[in-house]
Amino acid sequence: MGLLLALAGCGGEHPKKALRPPCPAGKVCMELGNDGDPTSLSPLKITGTLEDRITSDVMMGLTQSAPNGDPIPGMASSWETSADGLTWTFHLRNAVWSDGVPVTADDFVYALRRLMDPTEASEYASVLYVIKNAEAVNSGKLPATALGVRAIDDHTLEYTLEHPAPYLLELAKHQTMFPIPKHVVEKWGDAWSQPAHFVGNGPFNIVSWKLGDHIHAVKNPLFYDAKSVCVDQINYYPTYDSVAAEKRVRAGELDANGNIATNRIAFLRQPDQMPAYVHVHTYLGTSYFAFNERDPGPFRDRRVRIALGMAIDRDFITQVLSHGATESAFTFVPPGIAGYTPPAPPVWAAWPLARRQAAARALLAQAGYGPDHPLKFELTHPSSPTALIQMPSVQADWKAIGVQASLKQEDIQILFQDLRLRAFQVSWAGWIADYDDAMNYLYLNQSSSGIQDYSDYHNPVYDHLLDLANKEPDSKKRAEDMRQAEAVMLADQPITPLLFQVNTDLVNPRITGWVDNIVDQHRTRWLCVKGVSVVH
Amino acid sequence: MTGAVLAPGSRKAPPLMEAARGRSLWDDARRRLVRNRFAVASMFVLGFLVIAAIVGPYLAPYTYDHLDKTHVWVPPLTGDHLLGTDSLGRDLLARLLAGLGVSLEIGVVATVVSLVIGISWGAAAGYFGGWLDEVMMRFVDILYSLPFIFFVILLMVTFGRNFILMFVAIGFVQWLTMARIVRGQTMSLKQREFIEAARAVGLSGGAIIGRHIVPNLLGPVVVYVTLTIPDVILTESVLSFLGMGVQEPLTSLGTLISNGATEMELAPWLLIIPSILMVVTLMAFNFIGDGLRDAIDPKER
Repeated sequence: MGLLLALAGCGGEHPKKALRPPCPAGKVCMELGNDGDPTSLSPLKITGTLEDRITSDVMMGLTQSAPNGDPIPGMASSWETSADGLTWTFHLRNAVWSDGVPVTADDFVYALRRLMDPTEASEYASVLYVIKNAEAVNSGKLPATALGVRAIDDHTLEYTLEHPAPYLLELAKHQTMFPIPKHVVEKWGDAWSQPAHFVGNGPFNIVSWKLGDHIHAVKNPLFYDAKSVCVDQINYYPTYDSVAAEKRVRAGELDANGNIATNRIAFLRQPDQMPAYVHVHTYLGTSYFAFNERDPGPFRDRRVRIALGMAIDRDFITQVLSHGATESAFTFVPPGIAGYTPPAPPVWAAWPLARRQAAARALLAQAGYGPDHPLKFELTHPSSPTALIQMPSVQADWKAIGVQASLKQEDIQILFQDLRLRAFQVSWAGWIADYDDAMNYLYLNQSSSGIQDYSDYHNPVYDHLLDLANKEPDSKKRAEDMRQAEAVMLADQPITPLLFQVNTDLVNPRITGWVDNIVDQHRTRWLCVKGVSVVH
Repeated sequence: MTGAVLAPGSRKAPPLMEAARGRSLWDDARRRLVRNRFAVASMFVLGFLVIAAIVGPYLAPYTYDHLDKTHVWVPPLTGDHLLGTDSLGRDLLARLLAGLGVSLEIGVVATVVSLVIGISWGAAAGYFGGWLDEVMMRFVDILYSLPFIFFVILLMVTFGRNFILMFVAIGFVQWLTMARIVRGQTMSLKQREFIEAARAVGLSGGAIIGRHIVPNLLGPVVVYVTLTIPDVILTESVLSFLGMGVQEPLTSLGTLISNGATEMELAPWLLIIPSILMVVTLMAFNFIGDGLRDAIDPKER
């Protein structure tokens, strides 16, 4: 009892100091929750938003994400486009790597060649197939020198494209277009991105990485705009459990954490809880289920996929379980994508649940599944609190049409690895836009995207429509081609959309510079705390 | 001579002999146990829980995985949901019964596994001693040094994820402590006179272990078992929490509590009710263990 009282007394006096790691006097320290541990720090290896959050704090592409998510000049200070939209010339500013070596156009060329090198097997390479010959180089048909990128001089960089891409500036802030320090990579090989050797060109430098504990970064004094950076030190913590993270934010142990368990939003917004912390707004993100068509199992049968898609009671998940914080999805590209009108949802989307269940049962019966021979499979899903609430609901919906799905929860990295290796039957997947264009969603199911075509969907009509869209200079016609392609894909249901995600962040109101935006990018260089002022 | 010979079976025991037949150790133990009110009450409680876990799911109006979409997160005594529903509209009573069943099953099975391996391993090592003891106990030390979670992950990766594997994993780790306790007891027991007597009569090592050592070990073992069952139930909840144990929608008491804890401000019944059931179950085991120890250990008389 005495011990208990002593502890309570201690906690009452300095509730926050004890929980946060020590911060030198006069410095600004950020403790940031991140959804998990990154698989790497190298911009050529990473794929997820949780990795982007860290890598984009320590490295920078030609453009960078402004507080509102828009692309603004980064390593490039200016650029121009040719009249046909196929040639882009970027002029680099005088910037240096964190070891003092200048950042040159050659570092960009080197990075792109390495990304497209088939032996590197970079998963994300296909996002840059817009660059001339990229696909051919990435599949080993052409040498790396054939890539449509050229260093005119140390500070001038030229890209040639396959087709006009108005979204190139969005892509230029994406990690796949980052430069990498050639002199460091040549010295250390793949080990260059380990904290001990890491050299970046971003506002912060990686200091250490304790796996499963935290990643520590400090302000980079050599960053070209270092005087405008307010934060001196950052710790990124993997917070797999958003409910536990919420408690850490409440206690002041973390300054911000992405992801609030959706069923808790309404509660946290109550006046006596933490309403000032809750940030919720629209987001370019879709949750869906991928059916593995490489597996010679039931999912090669279109009827099975459609039946499973039909039977999900999406409105129950979005309206009741998430208290209206998400939106039911029957199409794949999220609403709000610039210049795109999604196709009409499948006709069954408007049917009442009972009718959909009956139709789904009939489809399964046609495919040879019924009470005597039930469809059985494993549904892989992330072990997040939100998924633990949503997935049993989907499972129950499927059980209602006689399907026996067992749930298998995995850490998020393992889940995506299973998706890449096609080591799943049906899996939850989520896609968050890298750039504000419908193609960023639709290319996923294109045969040429390879590893990221999780369902292994191959439909020549779909591929053809997307090729047409890529070559189409007129943006209206291009959108129409993409719309038709999406309709073709939805009719086949290689994936079944579940819901459109909302962007949720829990941010301590003492943090300034946090602007809600549709891509949910909040670079730490823009953040500060109340009472500290910095000239931007 | 002839008239005095009687067939062995026909001889009647003289009345004197009958009166002299003493009460056996076990008769004594039973009598003492019955006199312990806490232990008896706990046995009734535990018996009731076991019956509820077995029969209950058939009687409850809902199954543990049924979603009542019109009654989500309702508090106890709403409609026909006696204990309310969880965030998915699943009946808490049905889930409690399912979870209790799973927890008891794991607790008992894993403990029995650890009991069987632990007692035979420890008794053999302790009784025979020498190099055999060295080898056997170093083996235990090696297994001890394996991090438990790491070991479980290895099992899951190699054999895939299933329910039975969890019994194996937990039982496999729990027997180590049991073996050490039993070995220590055995080493002290084998110096005692009755063991020497047994050896003098010419009983084999195995027979001495089975007939004399193990029965005398029961006191400490029973106490340890009552500690093991709750420990196993808790370990299971740790594994389930990490996603390596019971998979949704099946549940266990530990899972119910850990889920309830995340929602405690919003739906306190989801935490309080499973916690009460867990406490009652664990306390019943503890009281029974206490009672058994008092009853079996002659020194406590």
